[in-house]
Amino acid sequence: MKKVMVEHLKYRYPGTEKLALDDVSFEVEEGELIGIVGRNLSGKSTLAQAIVGLVPHFYRGAYGGKVIVDGIEVLHSTVSDISRKAGIVFQNPFTQVTGSKLTVYEEVAFGLENLGVPRSEMMERIDEALTLLGIYDFRHANPFDLSGGQMQRMAIASIIAMRPEVIILDEPTSQLDPQGTEEVFLAVQRLSREGMTVLLIEHKLEKVARYADKVLWLDEGKVMAYDSPSKVFSRDDLEEHGLAAPIYTQICKALKLKSPDGETYPVTLEGAYEVLKRWN
Amino acid sequence: MKRKSVWSFQFTTASLVLIPAAVGINYIGKLFAGVLKLPLWLDSIGTVLASMLAGPIIGAISGAINNIIYGLTMDPISFVYGITSVFIGLVAGVLAYKGWIGNWGKAVVAGLLVGLTAVIISTPLNVWFWGGQTGNFWGDALFAAVMANTHSLWLASFLDELVVDLVDKVLVVLVSYAIYKGLPHNILQLYTGDHHVESLDK
Amino acid sequence: MKSISLYVDRQSFLHRIDPISKIYYIVAAILVPILYPSLTVAFAVMVISLILLFLGKVIRQTLSVYGFVFLVLITVLIIQTLFYPGNETPVYRIGQVVLYREGFFYALTISFRVINIVTSFLILVFTTRSADLVESLVRKGLSPRFGYVIASVFQIVPEMMSAMGRITDAQRSRGMETEGKLSVRMKAFLPLIGPVVLSSLLNVKERALALEVRGFNAKGKKTFLNEEKNFLAPTAVQWSLLAVILIAIIWRIIQ
Ligand SMILES: Nc1ncnc2c1ncn2[C@@H]1O[C@H](COP(=O)(O)OP(=O)(O)OP(=O)(O)O)[C@@H](O)[C@H]1O
Ligand SMILES: [Mg+2]
Repeated sequence: MKKVMVEHLKYRYPGTEKLALDDVSFEVEEGELIGIVGRNLSGKSTLAQAIVGLVPHFYRGAYGGKVIVDGIEVLHSTVSDISRKAGIVFQNPFTQVTGSKLTVYEEVAFGLENLGVPRSEMMERIDEALTLLGIYDFRHANPFDLSGGQMQRMAIASIIAMRPEVIILDEPTSQLDPQGTEEVFLAVQRLSREGMTVLLIEHKLEKVARYADKVLWLDEGKVMAYDSPSKVFSRDDLEEHGLAAPIYTQICKALKLKSPDGETYPVTLEGAYEVLKRWN
Repeated sequence: MKRKSVWSFQFTTASLVLIPAAVGINYIGKLFAGVLKLPLWLDSIGTVLASMLAGPIIGAISGAINNIIYGLTMDPISFVYGITSVFIGLVAGVLAYKGWIGNWGKAVVAGLLVGLTAVIISTPLNVWFWGGQTGNFWGDALFAAVMANTHSLWLASFLDELVVDLVDKVLVVLVSYAIYKGLPHNILQLYTGDHHVESLDK
Repeated sequence: MKSISLYVDRQSFLHRIDPISKIYYIVAAILVPILYPSLTVAFAVMVISLILLFLGKVIRQTLSVYGFVFLVLITVLIIQTLFYPGNETPVYRIGQVVLYREGFFYALTISFRVINIVTSFLILVFTTRSADLVESLVRKGLSPRFGYVIASVFQIVPEMMSAMGRITDAQRSRGMETEGKLSVRMKAFLPLIGPVVLSSLLNVKERALALEVRGFNAKGKKTFLNEEKNFLAPTAVQWSLLAVILIAIIWRIIQ
């Protein structure tokens, strides 16, 4: 079943001239993990916010085309209603903390209270989300006392507890140290294994190659490619558009070592290892 | 970037979240004034900025909540002066909307007007609460001198408040204007009150 | 995390009184002496407030607040006894300086009133968790979005204060002068406060986005994670305080 359908989406921020999204179309199947890549200011965050309805409802501006999330059309809905279908986690862990709650447990409850989830169900959902993200032991801590990685996992738990069909993560690790980054990626992988539909915006292409089923490549608001990681990252025009292929791909390319399919280059460590082994 | 009308506003998320930030900015202004040992309060920069960004109503609410929070956390007397803060927010918001905080010269005049408002509202409160004093050393010294010479409690109280407030509010508005000028476009955009989405479909 | 709240955690009956009742008490403590402008009434209400504060076991913690109040009240006492415009009856003379009876009593009225108002607020502030206060108000019908605004101030302000500490250190280490002549200190103000303000306004946008996607503007009835707290007979206490206020008003009207 298709969870996200984007058709000819165009968007321009108020007070600007240029389209931030220009005729973007793609579809996401249930349970897929999609990596969204592209150089700075290519429109990744704008696209992410278009799926949860912040574009256009929060920013206003000029909008064309359609975004349909789990059967509802974003343009004719509200951000609150869409929040039951699609959730988003942002870059900065600090500004995602509501600031009105004194414990991690209460913080995760915030969205559920707003949506009017009954109390007993709320607690069940929070326990589940905290356990899934591995922060159940911190449930009584003050949200601001957590480390960056823990805080970001709390942000993910806060969204997961709202039980959306789709979760979008906008560079969730860009402000974290390596330890925090690892924690968050493991959590994302676990969500995906649970059957969640995940869209992950990420600069580190090695990570995308390792986790994503498909890659959506944006440049100047347009879709450059929407295909498997190996197809997208084997392309020759990546550098021209400000992207550096995963390091394994670069090495294999330099050595002219293609994958067994004869078309693409390996994009992960395992893939490169296999190819190198055969080469020897 | 002008809002549609001075009183037209909605409690958008961006304007509600501005309120705690405004209170925080007030707090920090006061703390920095203390750190630098300035003989002023400088504790209404957030209120004035909120007014400039989101209009007089949000400014006034920021002022009110500011004094409630001060009252709950530092100094219960500030509850009494909540009304003054509300009026500072209202007047600054209207002046900003009318373009009266548009350049340095105008900002000084706007600061004087905001200061005068504060004095006019605070004086009766001072008279009722403290019998006319303000608790500021120089102001109270003036108060005593005027009382001794004119026997007018109101005049003394008015002048007591005036010497401190006028300078304070001019500086507050100038600092707010300096910061406002440096704000990026996409922050100002949040508060234009334009709720229309243009269609790009043919 | 540092907290800016003045709340003191104690076991006392005042801690078990609901926040709304304490607000009613503040109204009563301010209104009654206004409706009966007599020194005795003001004194009586002040004593009641002080006894309550004592029973709340927080009186020691409130001393710092009273410190400032007493300092100003002493100057009030001096200035009014000397210069109060209604001064007529000299009671004491030290050389040139004359102390007057009217000014003294006027200063006394002010002092009772100030102490009374401050104390009634202190009862609320020192014995009530701010989160409980907000939650009570929301249950009473305050918009949850405004509830959010008040509750978040308590955490956002300390966050900003720690940002302020970092920036002050950074600017000082870059050689900014924060001591010396008044003009030097004045000049330091804007570069110090500017960055904190700017970053907090940028945070406003991000936080607004994060709240929206968590149903901040959802229509329909909200629920509460926490069960309503078990306060000491809230209805009885509230009605009694309301009755006191009403009796005072009626008494005033028929007088
Ligand atoms: N609030 C805004 N107002 C106006 N223009 C904006 C706003 N946010 C983004 N833009 C513009 O929209 C375009 C796309 O930006 P976007 O943030 O979506 O890119 P991005 O791919 O997420 O970049 P990054 O990798 O830096 O996060 C850019 O040209 C940017 O300047
Ligand atoms: Mg981005």
